[in-house]
Amino acid sequence: MKIELTVNGVARILEVEPEERLLDVLRERLHLTGTKEGCGEGECGACTVIMDGKTVNSCMVLAAQADGHAVTTIEGLGNRGSLHPVQKAFLEEGAVQCGFCTPGMVLSAKALLDRSPHPGKEQIAVAMSGNLCRCTGYDKILRAVERAAGEVKE
Amino acid sequence: MNGTVGGTVGGTVGGRVLREDAWGKVLGQAAFPADVRREGQIYAVAVRSPHAHARIRGLKLDEARKAEGVVAVLTSADVPHNGHGVLYRDQPVLVQDHVRMAGDPVVLVGAETLAEARTAAGLVEVDYEVLPGLFDPEEAMKEGVPALHPEIHGSTNIVYHLPVCKGNVAKGWAEAEVTVERDYQTQMLDHAFLQPEAVLAYVDERGHLVVEVATQYAHYDRGEIAHALGLKFNQVRVKTVSVGGAFGGREDISLQIMAALMAWRTLRPVKMENTREESFHSHSKRHPMRMHYKTGATRAGKLTVLEARIVGDAGAYASWSPNILRKAAIHATGPYEIPNVRVDAYAVLTNNPYTGAMRGFGAAQPVLAYESQMDLLARELGLSPMELRLRNICRVGSETATGQVLTGSVGMEECLKAVKSYLGEVSAR
Amino acid sequence: MKKRGRGLGCAWYGTGYGNGFPDVSSAFVEIHDDGSVSVLTGAIDVGQGSSTIFAQIAAEELGIDPEEVTVISGDTDVTPDSGTSAATRHTYNTGNAVIKAVAQAKASLLTYAARALHCTTADGIELKDHKVRVKGEPSRSLPLAELVSKARLEGERFLGSDSYTARTTRVNPETGQGAPYWPYAFGSQVAEVEVDTETGNVQVLRVAAAHDLGKAINPLQAEGQIAGGIAQGVGFALLEEVRLSEGRIKNPTFSQYLIPTVLDMPEIRAILVEEPEGTGPYDAKGLGEPAMLPTIAAIVNAIDDAVGVRITSLPATPEKILAALAEQSKK
Repeated sequence: MKIELTVNGVARILEVEPEERLLDVLRERLHLTGTKEGCGEGECGACTVIMDGKTVNSCMVLAAQADGHAVTTIEGLGNRGSLHPVQKAFLEEGAVQCGFCTPGMVLSAKALLDRSPHPGKEQIAVAMSGNLCRCTGYDKILRAVERAAGEVKE
Repeated sequence: MNGTVGGTVGGTVGGRVLREDAWGKVLGQAAFPADVRREGQIYAVAVRSPHAHARIRGLKLDEARKAEGVVAVLTSADVPHNGHGVLYRDQPVLVQDHVRMAGDPVVLVGAETLAEARTAAGLVEVDYEVLPGLFDPEEAMKEGVPALHPEIHGSTNIVYHLPVCKGNVAKGWAEAEVTVERDYQTQMLDHAFLQPEAVLAYVDERGHLVVEVATQYAHYDRGEIAHALGLKFNQVRVKTVSVGGAFGGREDISLQIMAALMAWRTLRPVKMENTREESFHSHSKRHPMRMHYKTGATRAGKLTVLEARIVGDAGAYASWSPNILRKAAIHATGPYEIPNVRVDAYAVLTNNPYTGAMRGFGAAQPVLAYESQMDLLARELGLSPMELRLRNICRVGSETATGQVLTGSVGMEECLKAVKSYLGEVSAR
Repeated sequence: MKKRGRGLGCAWYGTGYGNGFPDVSSAFVEIHDDGSVSVLTGAIDVGQGSSTIFAQIAAEELGIDPEEVTVISGDTDVTPDSGTSAATRHTYNTGNAVIKAVAQAKASLLTYAARALHCTTADGIELKDHKVRVKGEPSRSLPLAELVSKARLEGERFLGSDSYTARTTRVNPETGQGAPYWPYAFGSQVAEVEVDTETGNVQVLRVAAAHDLGKAINPLQAEGQIAGGIAQGVGFALLEEVRLSEGRIKNPTFSQYLIPTVLDMPEIRAILVEEPEGTGPYDAKGLGEPAMLPTIAAIVNAIDDAVGVRITSLPATPEKILAALAEQSKK
């Protein structure tokens, strides 16, 4: 079947299989491998992307369901010359260890700050609670989101 | 790039230096093994035993071989040297006849796409004769119980026993005025690193086998791959890409040899990617341990004696079990000076998932026992937990249960002092 | 009712392979013509940050910035075998190997520099701030890059390759006596928990964690190790268990095998205790594994402090706590 979606600002028309997931489209067809697969059942958040401003687990979204929507992946956020404030804060706070959860974490934080530029600690924790991390104990990730909140311009 | 981010803060050694690879990780550029690909790659899937203990009577592979997209179906007969392991090569690459744990790989299917490989794997028929299993290490260590690896360990399932003996326990009990005796038990744990195992293996333009993988020890992997395939070390290149957490769960071989074997046989690049469920079945676990502790102290709050028995469930393959139960025995006293000690630690094979290295490596489980004993003793003695510890901790010059004199950095007391203010008053109950 | 309690946990951890096993790390070092450096080692950064530590050590030894050091690791065609990323051994063991390999490259560089600066002995030369300087006479110096490229034109290269082997002896298999590990790391943590006596649920509110790591070569990473260790300790104490039925894993998914989320985490205070370890690189020993050990006990002891029940079997699930509370009320 044919779907049309926007990925990181670029319009894409793709032929996909009915059972294909958005995650597969991103990783296998578009080679956007910054989106990770950690569990395949929507539990770990490593495959988090932003669809129309909201975070989704791309392993739980069928490609067909993304038809007509705008998707942002980690590749669409910043680059070495111009990091997104959340990416910069993750670097500076030491919030990255193995880094497998990082893209999903960064996108969850971005989506939070886009809708709520000055979140409280609890609000941050709740917003990040769908993203598992096994290395950092979340401590520096929370600090990074707080730091980014201070730097994000409304 | 220092201009963009603060860069180094506070110089070099002792500074809050930022990790270089964090750049690629926040940008989504860091490549983990599932993220690397090679033109013409095929996918391999392992067929694993659902039974914990079984004999394989036969394999029916025709349907799988005929299935759409299938490139090769491999069995134990295709493995030149069918074993790997960190201490003993007791773990088969593909099981020939004796399944020892649920999740043991039996057949390897390679196909053009992942979906075709999974479909074909579902067509493999394995005829299992299910055998009674050993699931309780206390049972498995009894005499006369069938041994799981007689060719390596003889007639016993006890792969390791270490006694640690110091001083004279009878004297220690004579001096003890307070005794606490308890049983403790820790559970089986999974490392749950977020990145499931994945491998890309291919034969390069030199004719060398290249294996790109996330591992804790590339040189070990190279040795095991070379051994299994009958190659020289220099013909095998293990290249580590980004590693998505490890915690001990990437010390043993998981998919490396299977992917390498498929690539060597088919001369096609081969990708293997575990699902989360496959990941649970294909790496080690933390040893569940049963620990019987009996500790004695004087009214003045000095430990006089410890007797402990620790049994660790090694599961179906030895992995690091001897080293882990050794570490448990050596650390069984905790960071305390106890003049009279008898500890016996055992690693016992069962048909449970095999256990191996996990953060703490046998020094983790006894913490539950020795620190619970300290709080229970403190209560008996009417001392605060802090005070009882301060009266017994190791300091410079202390002698451990193995007779080792600690001469260098021994910061136990400084650590206790550093957290003292967070403890507050603990009510005596 | 919700009741709070605090508990103390201490732990020790012998680092390195131990028991007389040959615990060897190796490194190759090359100083490039512009004064930047490559360090090659088999030691793999699995997320713990070892590559950053090696860059810091090499930079410190050579008077340059860590960003000028590229660490190439874990490629068997290129890097020397440096053992497993395990046993809390890379900062100490491979860190020492990096120092030894850098020292070789540095020794030939200093000898060359002594001639170039007309100093009678290499002992009179130091590397600081990207310069090669005569000790005590700071005005007499050359930029490091200038010296190295000058040396190249004269056919001199500054390379190093060396190994470090930890000290350890095999314990006697009959008595367990011996000196199996060196060095030992120590840690102590206090946990404050809140136990819900209606549901048996335990929330860990705060953990203060003090760890003796010899020297924090990178305090940012050390804090990260401690927080990550506490998270795994929380999972060990309260949440995680691989459940088996006839040897089969019943819960091989993240919806059934629960690891801590951010909402399970306490507020963390990490305290770095630096008792210098003379045999370590810049007095450092290790931290990775010890960071999680005291957490397990601190939580179990805090539960007892809060509600007076002693949990002896992990994980301390709500069911076990409710059962223990029911038992307690019978007495």
